[in-house]
Order: sequence, then structure tokens, then C-alpha cells
Amino acid sequence: MSFTDTPLSRIKLLNPTYPNKATGVINGQNSGLLNWNDIAYPQMYDLYQTLLSNFWKAQEINMQDDIKQWDYLTETEKDVFLRINTQLASLDSLQTPTMTQVMDYVTDSSFKAIFAVISQQEAVHNESYSYILSSLVPLAEQNKRFDQAKEDPVVQKRNQLILDHYEAFREEPTPQKLYELAINSINLEGIYFYAGFAFFYHLARQQKMLKTSTMISYIQRDEMQHAYFISQFIRILLTENPELNTDENIQYAYDTIDRAVQLEKEWANYILEDIEGIDLEEFHHYVEYLANKRFRQIGLDNYYPERDNPMAWIHVFSDEMMNETKSDFFEQKSRTYTKVSSSNGFDEL
Amino acid sequence: MKACIIYSSVTGNTYQLAQEVYDTLSASIEDLDYVHVDEIDYDQLLNYDFIAIGTYTWGSGDLPMEMEPLFDWFEEQSPKHLRTAVFGTGDSFYPNFCGAVDLFRDMLYVKTTLTVTLKVELMPQSHDIKKVPTFCDRLMPEPVYS
Repeated sequence: MSFTDTPLSRIKLLNPTYPNKATGVINGQNSGLLNWNDIAYPQMYDLYQTLLSNFWKAQEINMQDDIKQWDYLTETEKDVFLRINTQLASLDSLQTPTMTQVMDYVTDSSFKAIFAVISQQEAVHNESYSYILSSLVPLAEQNKRFDQAKEDPVVQKRNQLILDHYEAFREEPTPQKLYELAINSINLEGIYFYAGFAFFYHLARQQKMLKTSTMISYIQRDEMQHAYFISQFIRILLTENPELNTDENIQYAYDTIDRAVQLEKEWANYILEDIEGIDLEEFHHYVEYLANKRFRQIGLDNYYPERDNPMAWIHVFSDEMMNETKSDFFEQKSRTYTKVSSSNGFDEL
Repeated sequence: MKACIIYSSVTGNTYQLAQEVYDTLSASIEDLDYVHVDEIDYDQLLNYDFIAIGTYTWGSGDLPMEMEPLFDWFEEQSPKHLRTAVFGTGDSFYPNFCGAVDLFRDMLYVKTTLTVTLKVELMPQSHDIKKVPTFCDRLMPEPVYS
């Protein structure tokens, strides 16, 4: 059996004879002890810090404004709002246990720690959707909406792509299946959320449901870090294991992300059809632009035509916009200089 | 004419852009140094006629930690005669796209002779690469005709 198809073994908690600094992300030697000052990929400590500095919880956001506004949404807006909410919740529900499961097979303890934080954040996201729902509709309606998400054929079809690969890794945790899981994790975190994000940011553009979109913005900020981490994980996995770095696997990435792009477009056509102000063709271009970014993040070439962001308003709120007082965890470079621009006699390209 | 490109990269995006800048500048500058920010010889920096700085951006628009000493050096030295340029890669989904380029820009404008900035989304694409010759042109001193 080739290396790529040989199941990884679950890692013993402590291997005292092995070094603290892992010799590989998978199939490596690692004692299981984590000293962040002695890790194979020091940039992972920065990433870990950034993830922690993003910490937030749903209860910090007061839903009163949204509760008042809810009654003024159209029936269509309310329906789409609830459908997207439960659909996103179901994606996050998948991600929490999957990230925890991957931890059992990754040798490098710094990566385990990051997977643990990601898993925790997905649990927070999951809770935030429940928090939004509980503010707006009674439990019977919430349950109905979750059942609707489970039964919806378009939702099922798009989740199936992810589920199949996540299940395959559960059944047989080989390096190949871990790679496929990681690509599908990019699909989930880096592609599948965006039709939903578009809807909430679109409401925010009209000054509607701003508390909800504040939470969505926090979620997007987390998801971007997750997709970034997974893309780094993929690059390290392929570099350390040249047996995985094959033409077939590169093609797999193109094919699978393209499949997710098609499914996301289909979902957008279905869920955003009646929402005024979101041009579906423009959104299709947006999804392609998004997928190009994902390809470049994993070190591949653009797959779709090169274009500028057609929907620049799908964007994490800045601290100024959120009037956030919580300062960054890191010591920040103080902005003591006046902002200058090309009108000051240099060029900005 | 003595020039230097100083860069830092974590994903390889800024490194790739730095390579493009290097390839373009090396065609017209013989005395060109190309160093990672951790390998700077600070005693030599004032000997350059111009310096191009390449930086990625961390978090929601922060300077990467390894760039801080270089940033501080410019602040302390105030080499107003020195021509500078700054380029970088970032992700436009974050607030303050290429925020580290902006931080350098605002400071270098005060402390040096800032000539040009260039921002690229993630890995440079063909339309970004096309901007590199212009970037290098602006950085180089005006030719003096006698």
C-alpha cells in the first residue's frame, strides 16, 4: 500500500522519547509537549495569537436594535434571513467535530493547538446563530427552520460534497483523505459562507439588522483566518510529503473548488433570487474572484478570469465602524503620522 | 548608484513581488542589494541612494513584527535625502488593505523622500506585474541631463 493510502495512526498523547519540536505535520515525531518557543513553523505562533485576539462572544452584542427592526423586514427578507441563518449554522456544526478529529492525526502539537482554537471558534459561531434566532423567533419556528435546512435539496446537494470527504476521512484517515478534507474545508470556510455573508452585508448596506451583521463580520474575520491557516496547512502538507504533491492532487484542488463554486452559484440563484439589489451575475463573478483568491492562497494559479473584486462591500467591518474599544492583543504601532496620499507628490500604484 | 530591496514574506506572496522588483531593477542598477529584513546591516543603510521596502500585512492592518526594527530605524535616522518606495501584498477582505504599506507610507513621507507605493492582493497576478516597471521607474532618481 502506498504511503498516501496508508491510514495514519491515532497519536499517543505523550511520546517522551520524541522531540518537542515536531519532525512533521503528519507521520512525524513529536513528544506531544508543546513549547511555543520551539516549534517547526514559528509563524504558527503568530497565527495562534491572531486567532486568540479575534476572540468574541455573541452575548457581547445587544440585539435590541435588530429585534425592533425585524418587524419592518419584508416577508421575503425574513424568510431568507432565517433560511440562511440555519444553513450557515449547519455548516459550522460540521466544522467543530471535524477539526477536533483532525487533531488526533496531526503530529505537530502547535498545529493541534490551532485546530483546537478553530474548533472552539466554530462552536462560538454556531452559538451566535442560535442567539440571533432566539432573539427574533420562538422555538417552534426555530425548529421548523432547522428541519427546513436539513430537508432542503439544494442545501443537501451542496453539503454532500463536504460531507462525503469528511466522512471518508473518518472512515479511513489516510494522508490522501486528509488532503482532500483540507481542500473541502477551504470550500466550506472559504467559499460556502459567502452567499450568506452577501445577504447580511446587503441588509447592513441598507442600515438593517446591523447587530446581526456585526456578528457576521466577526464570523467572517474568523473564517478568513481559518481558511488562511488551512491553506498554509495544505502547502506544508504537500511540501513535507512530496508523494501527495502530484499532478492528480493539484487537479483535484481545481476540480473540487470549481465544484464548490458551481454549487455556491446554484445556491445563490436559489436563495437570493428575490432579494432586490443583489445582482446574481455579479455574485457569480464574485464567487469566481473569491475562488481565485483561494487558489493563490494555496500556491496555485487563477482558475477563472482575472478580475477585481466586483462586490467590495462584502467586507469585514473595521474597528472604527464597529466603534470597538477593545484594543488589539499585540502592541500596535501607534499611528502618529498624518495619512498621506498621492496628492502629496508620490505615486500610489 | 547604490540601491537595496528589503523584504519580509510569510506566505511567499510578498517574496514573489520582491523578486519581480529585483528582476526589473537589476536591469538598470548594477549595485543592487536584495535582503530579507532580518539580515539588514543597519550600518550600511545610509550608503544607499534608494531603498525599496516590501512588506506583508498582519491581522487587520498591522506591521509584521520583524518589520518593526526597520520602521524604528527610519524614524530615528530621518534620512530625508534617501529615496524610498514601499510595496506589499494583502487581503482586501480585511479592513485596512495592505495596512503595513500605509503605515510605512505615512512615516516614510515624513522621514524620507517617498516616491511610490504599490499594493497587491495576495499572490501577484499579471495586471499587478505590469505595474512593477512603473514602480521601479518612479523610484529611480530623475535622470540629470547635462
